[in-house]
Amino acid sequence: MADEPAISLQGLEKNFRVSQREPGLWPAIRALFRREWVEVAAVAELSFEIQRGERVGFLGPNGAGKTTTLKLLAGLLYPSGGRARVLGFDPADRRPEFLRRIALVMGQKRQLSWDLPSLDTFELNRVVFDVPRELYERRLAEMTELLDLGEVVRKPVRTLSLGERMKCELVAALLHAPEVLFLDEPTIGMDVSMQLAIREFIREYHRRHGATLVLTSHYMEDVAALCERILVIDEGRLCFDGSIGELVRRIRPLRRVAIRVTQRLDEGQERALEQLGQLALVGPPRLALDVDPERVPEVVARLLAVPGARDLEVQDAPLEEVMRELFARRASVREGATDTGDGA
Amino acid sequence: MSAGFEHGAARRHLRLLGAQLRLSTLAALEYRVGFWTEGVVGLAWSLGGVVPLVVAFEHRSDVAGWGPWELVLLTGFFLIISGVYAAVVQPAVSRSMTQIRTGTLDYLLLRPVDPLASCLTAQFEPWSLIETLTGIVVVIVATAKLGLSPSVGQLGALAVVLVCGLLSLVALGVLMLSASFKAMELQNLTSLMETLLGFAHWPVSVFRGPLKLVFTFVVPFAVMTSYPAQSLIGGLGWAELLGAVGTTLALTVGARVIWGRALRGYTSASS
Repeated sequence: MADEPAISLQGLEKNFRVSQREPGLWPAIRALFRREWVEVAAVAELSFEIQRGERVGFLGPNGAGKTTTLKLLAGLLYPSGGRARVLGFDPADRRPEFLRRIALVMGQKRQLSWDLPSLDTFELNRVVFDVPRELYERRLAEMTELLDLGEVVRKPVRTLSLGERMKCELVAALLHAPEVLFLDEPTIGMDVSMQLAIREFIREYHRRHGATLVLTSHYMEDVAALCERILVIDEGRLCFDGSIGELVRRIRPLRRVAIRVTQRLDEGQERALEQLGQLALVGPPRLALDVDPERVPEVVARLLAVPGARDLEVQDAPLEEVMRELFARRASVREGATDTGDGA
Repeated sequence: MSAGFEHGAARRHLRLLGAQLRLSTLAALEYRVGFWTEGVVGLAWSLGGVVPLVVAFEHRSDVAGWGPWELVLLTGFFLIISGVYAAVVQPAVSRSMTQIRTGTLDYLLLRPVDPLASCLTAQFEPWSLIETLTGIVVVIVATAKLGLSPSVGQLGALAVVLVCGLLSLVALGVLMLSASFKAMELQNLTSLMETLLGFAHWPVSVFRGPLKLVFTFVVPFAVMTSYPAQSLIGGLGWAELLGAVGTTLALTVGARVIWGRALRGYTSASS
C-alpha cells in the first residue's frame, strides 16, 4: 500500500452536455421548445500517476480541463469514463474516509460564511472533520502564525481583503491536515507580496506534513516555485509530463548566455561568435547568444574574454515564453489539420 | 457496515446538525435590525395563520364535519408544519439551490458527511420557529377546550403521523432540490410549495376526487395536519395510519433515490 501512488488515472474522461443556440430573440424563443445539445469533452483519456509527497503543477490554457480534472480527483464530478484512484479510493464514491484525507481550495469560490468571522467556519469544519479540540487549537495557532493572520480570523469575512480571505480559506481547508491537497488558482487576483506569502505557506505545509500537492495556476511563478513536476493539459489531453527544465529544453532547447558590454563588437568578432550560436542581442548594454547547452562552457569562456565584459548570466527561457510557444505550436498544428481536412 | 460505524456516522451527523444550526443562528444574529425585523415578521406570520379560523368561527359552525375547536386543533398542527417548513426546509432548499447554480455546493460535497444532510442543514431561520411554538400552544389550548384526554395509543398514533408528516415535508424539499440539478432556476418552486401548503390549513375531507388523492398520497398534506388532529380527536383509523406510513416511506425512499441520481449529474459551475 505504501508504494501505491497517491493519485492514479487511467483513461479518465469527462464529457459535458452543453446547450447552444444562435444569438437573438427568435432563437431564444425556439430554444424554449427545441434545444440543441452538444457533447463537449472536458477531459479526454487522461492517464498519469502522482506519487505520495510529490508537488505537481497542472498547466494549460483556459478551458484545457485542469479544474475539471481536479474536481474529478476530489470526487465533486462523476467521470464519464476511465478510472481514477486517490489514496486507494475511487473519488466518485465520496467515502467519508476519503474526504477526510483530501482538501480542495478554489481561488474563485469560498467556503467561509460571508457574514461571520472565519473562526466560526473553522469551528464548523472542526466538527465536520472530527478534529479533536486540542489538535484543532494547535493547528489553528500554527497556521495563523505562519500566515500572519492575527486578529483577521475574528473579523467578518465580508470585511476582509482578497488576500486575507484566501489565507483564511487555506486555514479552513487544512485544519484536518489533508494528505492530498488540490489547489485551483489559489493566488488568483492577488498582489505579488500576497502571492509570495501564500506560496511560502503552501511550501511550508508540504514540508511539515509531506502532503501531495496538485496545483493549477495562471501564475507561472507559483508553479515554478512550488512544483517539481508539471503536467501540461490541452483540450483535456495530457501533452507533457516532466520537470520544468525538461519542458523548457524541449520547447526552447537553446540556452541564453548573456554579458553586459560597454561597446559593440567589431564585425569579425560578431562573425566568430555566430559560429558558436545565434546572436540574440548585440549590445551595448547587453550581448546575448542562444546556444546549444553542450557549448555553454565554451561560449562562457569566449564571452568572458570580451574586453569590459561583466555580469555573465546563463538562463533557460522564461516559463511564460515557453508555454506561449508550446500552445502556439499546438494551435498551429490544429489549424493545419483543420485546413487539410477542409481541403480534402 | 458495522453497527459501530453506523453509530459513529449518526453521531457525526447529529454534531453536524448542531454546528450548522449554531452557524445559521450566528449569521441571523450578525445583523441586529434584520434579526428583530425577522422576529416581528415571524410573530405576524404566526398570528396571520390563525386569522382564517376567526373567519370560519364567525360564518359557519363546522367545515366538512369539523367543529370550530377541531379546526383550531388542525390549525395548530398546520402552524407546527408551516413553521418547520419556513425555519428549516425552505431556507435550506433555497440556499442549496443557489449553491448548485453557482457551484459553491462543491464545499458541501467535500465534507465527510452525507451531502444531503449538509444541504438540509445549509441554512436555518430560527425566528420562523415562533410559528411552530404558536402551533404547539394552539394544539394544547384546542385539546383542553375539546376536553380531550388522549389514550397512549392515540398519542402513539399522533407521534407516528407527526414524524410521517415531517418526513414527507422534507422529502418534498429533497425532490425540489433534486430537480434544481437539471433546471438551475427553480427557486420559485419553494414559493409554490409555500402556497400549496396553504391547502393543509383545511381538513382533507374538504377536498373531493383527484385533489383529495393528491393531498393524501402525492403531496400528503392530510398526513401533515389532518391525521395528527384526527389522531387526538379519535377519528384516525388503522387504514389511514398505515396509508400515512406507506406514503411517507414511498416519498422518502423515492426522494433519496432521485437525489442520488441528481447528484451524479452535478456539473459544478466553472470557476
